[in-house]
Amino acid sequence: MKKVISGLLVLLLFNSCTKEVKIEIPGYAEKIVIDGRIETNFPPVVLLSRTNDIYSPTNLEAYLNGFISGAVLSVSDGTTIFPLIEICTDALPAGTENFAAQFFGIPVEEIANYHLCAYTSFDPEILGQVGKTYTLNVKYDGKTYTSQTTIVPPINSLNTFWKPAKNQTEYGYSWATISDNANQFDGYLWEIRYIHETSYSKPFSPFFDDQFIDGLTFDFAYENPMSFQDASLPDEFKGFYKLGDTLVVKLSKMDEAVYQFMEKKYTQLFSAGNPFATPTNIPSNINGGALGIWAGYSPRFDTLICEL
Amino acid sequence: MLKIFFYLTLIILSFKAIAQEKHTLSGYLTDGRNGEAMIGARIFVPSLSQGTLTNTYGFYSITVPSGIYKIEFRVTGLETEIKEIDLSRDVVLNVELGTNMQEIEEVLVNAKKGENINSTKIGQIELEIDQIKTLPAFMGEVDIIKTIQLLPGVSSVSEGGQGFYVRGGGPDQNLVLLDEGVVYNAAHLFGFFSVFNVDAVKSVNLIKGGMPANFGGRMSSVLEVNMNEGNNKRFSYKGGIGAISSRLTIEGPLKKDKGSFIISARRTYIDLIMKAAIPDTSPFYGSSYFFYDLNVKLNYKLTDKDRIYLSGYYGKDMFVFDNKEDNFKVEMPWGNGIAALRWNHLFSNKLFMNVTTTFSDYMFSFGSKQDEFRFALKSGVRDIGSKVDFTYYANTKNRLKWGADYIYHTFTPTSVSAETNEVVFDTGKAQKLYSHESALYILDEFDLNEKIRFNFGLRYSMYHQVGPFTRYQKGGVGVADTSFTYSKGDLIKFYNGLEPRISGRWLLPDKSSIKAGYSYNYQYVHLTSLSAVSLPTDIWYPTTDLAKPQQGWQASIGYFRNFLKDRIETSVEVYYKGMKNLIEYKEGALPGDDINDNTDNLLVFGKGWSYGLELFVKRSYGKLTGWVGYTWSKTERIFPDLNNGKVFPAKYDRRHDLSVVANYKLNDRWTFGACFIFATGNTLTLPSSWYVQEQNLLFNYGERNSTRMAPYHRLDISATLYDKAYKLKTDLLTGEEIQVKKRFRSNWAFSIYNVYNRANPFFLYVDNDGDFLNGDFKITVKQVTLFPIIPSVTWNFEY
Repeated sequence: MKKVISGLLVLLLFNSCTKEVKIEIPGYAEKIVIDGRIETNFPPVVLLSRTNDIYSPTNLEAYLNGFISGAVLSVSDGTTIFPLIEICTDALPAGTENFAAQFFGIPVEEIANYHLCAYTSFDPEILGQVGKTYTLNVKYDGKTYTSQTTIVPPINSLNTFWKPAKNQTEYGYSWATISDNANQFDGYLWEIRYIHETSYSKPFSPFFDDQFIDGLTFDFAYENPMSFQDASLPDEFKGFYKLGDTLVVKLSKMDEAVYQFMEKKYTQLFSAGNPFATPTNIPSNINGGALGIWAGYSPRFDTLICEL
Repeated sequence: MLKIFFYLTLIILSFKAIAQEKHTLSGYLTDGRNGEAMIGARIFVPSLSQGTLTNTYGFYSITVPSGIYKIEFRVTGLETEIKEIDLSRDVVLNVELGTNMQEIEEVLVNAKKGENINSTKIGQIELEIDQIKTLPAFMGEVDIIKTIQLLPGVSSVSEGGQGFYVRGGGPDQNLVLLDEGVVYNAAHLFGFFSVFNVDAVKSVNLIKGGMPANFGGRMSSVLEVNMNEGNNKRFSYKGGIGAISSRLTIEGPLKKDKGSFIISARRTYIDLIMKAAIPDTSPFYGSSYFFYDLNVKLNYKLTDKDRIYLSGYYGKDMFVFDNKEDNFKVEMPWGNGIAALRWNHLFSNKLFMNVTTTFSDYMFSFGSKQDEFRFALKSGVRDIGSKVDFTYYANTKNRLKWGADYIYHTFTPTSVSAETNEVVFDTGKAQKLYSHESALYILDEFDLNEKIRFNFGLRYSMYHQVGPFTRYQKGGVGVADTSFTYSKGDLIKFYNGLEPRISGRWLLPDKSSIKAGYSYNYQYVHLTSLSAVSLPTDIWYPTTDLAKPQQGWQASIGYFRNFLKDRIETSVEVYYKGMKNLIEYKEGALPGDDINDNTDNLLVFGKGWSYGLELFVKRSYGKLTGWVGYTWSKTERIFPDLNNGKVFPAKYDRRHDLSVVANYKLNDRWTFGACFIFATGNTLTLPSSWYVQEQNLLFNYGERNSTRMAPYHRLDISATLYDKAYKLKTDLLTGEEIQVKKRFRSNWAFSIYNVYNRANPFFLYVDNDGDFLNGDFKITVKQVTLFPIIPSVTWNFEY
């Protein structure tokens, strides 16, 4: 559908022109943004930031100043409350640099140059466990924000394979076979990395649910998101995995509220500026008026060797 | 109500025996040149200062005291015909006008001269087709709906769009009728062109307020388009060759003076242009777009009292997007099919009956294929209906009308299928919704005295939603969904309501009058749109157990005054319109969310209101004709589930809307036209802030429709060059050169759209580019403009 909309836009904009305008957009009110996650066997990590007026400065300094430190956070697993501590990129505990670099989107070699703070806990008792519901509590500037997320059971099995694309012999997509559970909501997140890398990448539309596949066993394919960052790769091979590549596929499940946030988020990412789309605010699962998400993920992994 | 309806018919049928002291002149008025019925022609008795107008079928009936009268038959653009008639008994007189006329400007009349003052019609405007043809045309396509959009109280949905808003109502609140068949989508080319081929159209009437009781089912307006009937004197043809499309019309007698036919066809060549523009080596080769439409009409006079009319329209758009590089192909056809069979019968010279059976089908479908994955979506609405209307011309001071109508609706909001070679995806059952919509009405137009005339009407509408139907109930996060299925014919929900319609006129001195009107309407269909602009993907959805019928009321009052012997017509109208049970999609609803669900589960309901003032100055005849229309208005909505329950402006809320339209006939060969439009910019919802989540830039939108685009203004001009009407021929008897009227006529129509190349906003969006860490990140608001200055030329011909 997105390609069709693109086609429509091509037709519609055949004779159109675009120019920058300065127009009043009323209604800005600063809000807190909570970006938190907890994953099976990982501790909770939470970033706090602020929204910015649409016309506010967009330089690096503004971006960095948008993060909030000094808040009081805790996570409860239903029985115990674990306070979160604030750790900053210029004083990271040894061994956490890669994780922090991935989390903030900053090259690992530069991470120490920035003072970006996140909230986490090193208590081994708070590592994510399947079946548990985690409650996040954030206190900042006299206000309290709360949210809950559940680490749902992971998918029963994940079988990945590779096959050449049409008219190709050495290049193809990653495929997987999964069996969806019948009569329940299931939401999925597809991530992948080369086996020698540490961080996962997401394809263009990494989230899907079982609206059309409830209870079915089926195959599906994803493109190679890393290939688009490879400037040395000719355009005609972008999107493909090459025969011989070895990868790690991570297919996570999440609860429905998290999926709804992510679905709307990717819809907005794809449709921003599209006149055929309705303006979509992303539904948060956080109480108290903050934006963002408190997300629990339940992954299953599989190694994919691109071979026939 | 049903009993009253039948008793009334019987009583009226027996009137003839009672009322013997007066006599009736009745008959049909036709154009002597081609046999077309004259709609809205005036039959006037000067000695009594009384008159009547012909109806849609050219029928008239006037009852006066016994005597000998001079009767005037007036038709706009033709010479008035005066006949002396002895009305010591009832007389049936069919009149053909314009048979031997010389088109001399000074003797041509305006049949509706003073009618704007005299009638009880408030908020009604009739357009002259000949005038529309000489107005500037976008890409050379003469367009009825774009002309409608130039009238006060009417605004377009967007640049070039066919959707129109009337006095703050949505585009679904306009009842668009083609020969009484409902047109659900009046647009070609994603809304840039109208489905109405102007060569096939005879008359256009817009009712934007004071809707008479014989119309219903929509809250805001009625756009009544009547097709030509065809020349019953001789075979003729006409057509035009334009920049993006051509058209051809053939008409002629089925049997001279008894029946005729007309066939009119139109097709674009955009697909041929695209084929030439896209090289066959391009992955997009094969992508194309075209539309065509076909109008057919037959009519036959069975007896002096019985006539039948069969009208048909079929139009289709086809968009194909082919990307061989991605092995991706989309086909998107959509279109309307409309048929209407009508039977006129005269029970007496005072009682006219019309029975209509209509069929209307609107279909939109979308099919895509990528590698082994296939996806198809269908949506549409199909109506089968019938109506009967009686008109009783009691006397010149009283006209009674009553009738009934019925429509069986079949709605297919969304039907989806998806499959790969191995797996058929579960997209649920095709959703179809069935309903019966019916109504009874009665209206009486009568003179209380010489100055005051009323039009009282009452409509009683009913709506039955029936099975088969599956009601889904979403359980919400973590709660299982449930469903309940109704069997075929099961009554799911019944709605009904009384719709009073009242209008009145108070005649004042100095060619002026005050008119006021009130109407209450129920609307049982809704148009749901997920996009900010109107598209064929918008879904028609019926009233259901969840989605209640829209209801609206409108009150208006106006002062009408003519100047310079009725050459200049002016009016000032103010109105207030209240609406409830309006629908919108829930915030965040997405296409496809209604798969395995009911569309109305995605809807939210609210209220709206609109008020405004309209000024209109019109010059209907003379060398310079045209109008100036200005509207000041305010349109707002409130939905408990949108915008935090706060009032917000409708997306088509426009404070100011000005149109200036002018036609100047320089001489027999040159006619010039111009139109200028100024309108307050449309509202839209833009993000008021941004934030970052997992390194993605996300937007948070501010209040709904709180941003307003820059004002819209544009000037279009046109020039039409006609060939010489006469050719010189040597008289074989006298040897002298004489002028002979040419049978083949042609003209060149030149237009320039957007003369001063104004970059009008079509939509705005927030764009972001660059990277924070690189320091080149930037957020900007961008405006997209669709059409720059566009010249066009069309060659039209007629034989």
